[in-house]
Amino acid sequence: MTGRDCFRRFVASLVVTCLLPVLAASADAAEKAPAETATGTEAEKGDAQATPTEPVGWEAEADGFFGEYLVTPLWTVLFFDFWTDRWLGSSVPLVVFWLLIGATFFTLRMGFINFRGFWHGIQLIRGKYDNPDEPGEVSHFQALASALSATIGLGNIAGVAIAVGLGGPGAIFWMIVAGFLGMSSKFAECSLAQMYRKVAPDGTVSGGPMRYLHQGLKEINIGPLNLGGLGAVLAVLFALVCMGGSFGGGCAFQVSQSLGPIRDKVPFLQGNEWIYGVVMAVLVGLVIIGGIRRIAATAEKIVPTMCIIYVITSIYILAVHHDKILGAFELIFNGAFTPQSVKGGILGVMVIGIKRAAFSNEAGIGSAAIAHAAAKTEEPIREGIVASLGPFIDTVVICTMTGLVIVITGAYDNPLYEPLIKGDKGAALTSEAFGSVVWWFPYILCLAVFLFAYSTMISWSYYGERCWSYLTGGRGSLIYKLLFLGFVVLGSVVTATNVKDFSDLMILSMAFPNILGVMLLSGRIRKALDVYWNRYKAGEFKTHEG
Amino acid sequence: MTWLPRQNVVVPIDFSDDSFAALETAREMVAEASDLHVIHVLPVLEPAEPGIIWHTIDDDSRSQHAQDALERELSKRSADGLRVVVRFGDPGHEVVQYAEQAGAELVVLSCKGRSALTRLLIGSVAERIVRLAHCPVLVLKR
Repeated sequence: MTGRDCFRRFVASLVVTCLLPVLAASADAAEKAPAETATGTEAEKGDAQATPTEPVGWEAEADGFFGEYLVTPLWTVLFFDFWTDRWLGSSVPLVVFWLLIGATFFTLRMGFINFRGFWHGIQLIRGKYDNPDEPGEVSHFQALASALSATIGLGNIAGVAIAVGLGGPGAIFWMIVAGFLGMSSKFAECSLAQMYRKVAPDGTVSGGPMRYLHQGLKEINIGPLNLGGLGAVLAVLFALVCMGGSFGGGCAFQVSQSLGPIRDKVPFLQGNEWIYGVVMAVLVGLVIIGGIRRIAATAEKIVPTMCIIYVITSIYILAVHHDKILGAFELIFNGAFTPQSVKGGILGVMVIGIKRAAFSNEAGIGSAAIAHAAAKTEEPIREGIVASLGPFIDTVVICTMTGLVIVITGAYDNPLYEPLIKGDKGAALTSEAFGSVVWWFPYILCLAVFLFAYSTMISWSYYGERCWSYLTGGRGSLIYKLLFLGFVVLGSVVTATNVKDFSDLMILSMAFPNILGVMLLSGRIRKALDVYWNRYKAGEFKTHEG
Repeated sequence: MTWLPRQNVVVPIDFSDDSFAALETAREMVAEASDLHVIHVLPVLEPAEPGIIWHTIDDDSRSQHAQDALERELSKRSADGLRVVVRFGDPGHEVVQYAEQAGAELVVLSCKGRSALTRLLIGSVAERIVRLAHCPVLVLKR
């Protein structure tokens, strides 16, 4: 495709994506005018920061439609809790129970690979065993960085704030536990992604849950019953919910949450949120439809640097409040087992922690397996061990940093920020916590949330496109990309709560087909792990350092 | 087949056994091996593909790998001396475009029967080639 073709396609799609909200905005201008006055009145009260901007006019209609016809029916089915609020005292959606069972099962089945494989994982990402002649596209480190560019996003900044806001400091404890257990889920799914990947004649690689569910389960027989049919159904189901996940957590959630702190610093956006959505859609469209590869490469490669800057900023805040660190850990531990004023008690906090951890690190969800399949290696277990470091970096390190900052600065129980917590505006809450220490830290956070949101959207558009290709044989991917850009704009229009609920539904539901398939294939992973580990311990692997 | 030999016959190859079987049929239709054009079409990669992000793969390296793999397969089948072409884009359009450029007299390809649903979702490369080609197309149903 020539540069001119790229440009033409991009402009055409941009017009389609951007024109609808713009036209709707003009049509509803009269309706919107009083709303702007209302926002202005609130600002005059000096309460603008703590008062979330609610959609009005056509945005309110879009939000109402989104909530009533998309979120509510899906929630009823996918997050059915078997009336656990009556007999357990707290609503435990089936998917949360499923994620916990899966992660615990993989930890036990793989003999605590999350702990015993940790050091070997570090050796692998340092390139000790990298062999450039092995099939695949990228090194272990590059595969991990690509996967992290999708997982590290607003889930780490906003999701943690939402968890602490709703569940108190104890939610951080359960997030960390889920992070450690999730390392085993990630190990299992990414090992399978390598085992069943397909290397094309041009050297490119395709793999992920669609392939291992479809191909892997064909090889499993339970008595006279072959699981090939089940595998095909699970693969299609996975592809469908993964596309939904890309529209929700991979896209609308990123826009919705990054908008919070940015809107505070750019007052023009207050009441004109859709403009942020359109700008984001243009920037994402430049890459996914315009095909400008350099932007995608820069955005994704900058993620590790932004992570380091984010962690350093958080450490600085912790250092300023060093006298409160022990107290914060005490709050986190006590809050995990004896939570005060949290609906559902200990179970309620667990549910919040596990949900937000899985949403952030995507362990058991299966998405990262698509990126890890591309690693250059002939040892599937090796990439699984590398992948297991993902939840550690994402949740145990970065989410914990965010959580500690929010607890130590007291932002989570400051009555001034209650509207932010109630409105699920997690990133805005984190911004307030950062700003309470150094006035310009929220500007760093704005840059971080913008870049994390952007790189996450680019990566998730790739995951979604792979699923679309699986379902359609690679045809009509422009339709998927236009839908994706539509959700980018929607993310700025629909309320944060509806976006978060829709994102939770889609992303977490990916665990249903994925964990079931990985459990059925876990015997193969364990067998391969035992062989690999014995060879590793015997020093049989050739090193390629220096 | 004992037809009059044709010049410039195009055979799309996707590395499936069926496509190589179509090649066997096409070989019987030409006098010289060099009259047979074997074309393989690669998809355009997404900008977020890990290999593209990290610059470890590009169109040149992909094209070279595919060309080498195709020549190895042809050599295994004792089909040397054919013209091997690798292109990027939509297979249907690329095959038709190449056939026109090469002044092909015939395109030979294999086609699997698909269910109505799969046809609706995926469509068929063969259908598009038949619809768009400037020359006769021989579709071998497998």
